[in-house]
Amino acid sequence: MHISDGVLPTTISLAAYAATALGIGLSLKILRQEDLPKIAVVTSSFFVASLIHLPLGPTSVHLLLPGIVGALLGPAAFLSITIGLFLQSILFQFGGLTALGANAMMMGLPALFCGFLFRAIRGTTLLTNTVAGAVAGGLGTLLAATILAGFLYTSGENFFGVAKLALVAHIPVIIIEAAVSAFIISFIFRVKPEMLHSAPRQQHGITGHPSDHCHD
Amino acid sequence: MTEILPESRIIIHLSVMASIWLTSLVVLPVALLTAITFLRKKKTQQKGQPDWSIPTLDNHADRNSFFHNWNPAAKVASLLLYCFLIVSLKTFACSVTALVISLFAVYFSKLPWLPSLQRLAAMSGFLIMFLLVIPFSSREQPGETLLIFPLLSRFPFHLNGFFLALTIVIKACAIALLMEPMLGTSSLSATLQGFTRIGVPVPIIQMILLTHRYIFVFHQEMVRMQRSMKVRGYTARTDVLTMKTMGNFFGMLFISSYDRTQKVYEAMLCRGYKGIFPTFHTREISGKDLAKGGIWIMIGLVLLLIERLPSAP
Repeated sequence: MHISDGVLPTTISLAAYAATALGIGLSLKILRQEDLPKIAVVTSSFFVASLIHLPLGPTSVHLLLPGIVGALLGPAAFLSITIGLFLQSILFQFGGLTALGANAMMMGLPALFCGFLFRAIRGTTLLTNTVAGAVAGGLGTLLAATILAGFLYTSGENFFGVAKLALVAHIPVIIIEAAVSAFIISFIFRVKPEMLHSAPRQQHGITGHPSDHCHD
Repeated sequence: MTEILPESRIIIHLSVMASIWLTSLVVLPVALLTAITFLRKKKTQQKGQPDWSIPTLDNHADRNSFFHNWNPAAKVASLLLYCFLIVSLKTFACSVTALVISLFAVYFSKLPWLPSLQRLAAMSGFLIMFLLVIPFSSREQPGETLLIFPLLSRFPFHLNGFFLALTIVIKACAIALLMEPMLGTSSLSATLQGFTRIGVPVPIIQMILLTHRYIFVFHQEMVRMQRSMKVRGYTARTDVLTMKTMGNFFGMLFISSYDRTQKVYEAMLCRGYKGIFPTFHTREISGKDLAKGGIWIMIGLVLLLIERLPSAP
């Protein structure tokens, strides 16, 4: 669920914008310049994945993916998510440009947190990685829903009902997200475990063998 | 039936027919909008395939209108500021005025209406929640009107809350309608370059361009994978098998994108990438561009002032 334009008071959306700008600035400082194009390419796959709807009884839900993005990208997750959200609002109007800051906080902070948590608890076996994936996936969505509710709470007493409903509506999404994240991590652990170690960079350093794959 | 209580609240008990009429007044426009969007979409998509296609923003960027002839940097800067002014509106009347202005903007941008309607439909889920929840859960105020629906006597319908929710919805629609004139009237790269002029760091804009490019690549990949799953008899249900299959599906999608990053980056280096994409369509901001921006900001400020200034006695 994204916050639309016009919902939050201007002071809150501007404050969230400032916080997001700070986050982006820090990300650009931490990340290496040559990794940025790679993060952009991986971001596209997250964007596409978030378009897919899974059936849930009579309706369907799409994944929010903050936990998985955090687990796979680590410190780059905030930047990746903000770019994804920007494109979602300019292409589909999911969220909105004036609410972009709030949405970036809502998805980006849980992603960062879950990324660190995932790395801390994932251990070395398939089972521990799968469990850590489930925790990251479920917690990412839970935190995102909590921040959403928090934004609505700070917007005034009239929004309390909506905030509560938004929290409750996310419960099934949290369960599905945790399950699917567990399967995603388990799959990646078996097929390409090096992807779980860090952001794309450290595996194929650009200084390594530039001649290896020059055919794309 | 109307009764006036000592605290000067007005409570109106609605009959069944009246409540049906009132509900349909709210639901009908939304339902109509959603129906139109889905019907129009259905025409262009294959039978039985859910539509996950990604809209292209700048299909009609080569037309000629007020918005097309506007320098993208000036356009993005002033319309964004205007949007923030609209967000700050609090009264129903001013929000409706903003909505009407946005409708005119779409009309004068000479863009097709469908993408704008799709934008409204995309927000409808979130906004309907506001329309349905806030009137029943908002805080009681002295002197307000409460409607009591039959069967829902424990949850009075606050008219104040309803107008608050409606104002939010209308503001959201007003801003969403401005997006096509703002973003669809120049090529995407020119628009994004406009964002760099208002302080968005260049590397971020480069990443957005690259992400946008690869969205379409991975979307095709996704469609191809889904087709092969379908051929093998996969149907999505609410069960663990579906989640496992989708988990593997997402895992494969992420792995293929990860494998691709290095190749993409090296291909870019081969073509002389030095951390920046060269741009060829720089256009200086003219006085006319600034004047257009000034008009929009003035409109926003006037709306805000009308509402904030105490009205004349």
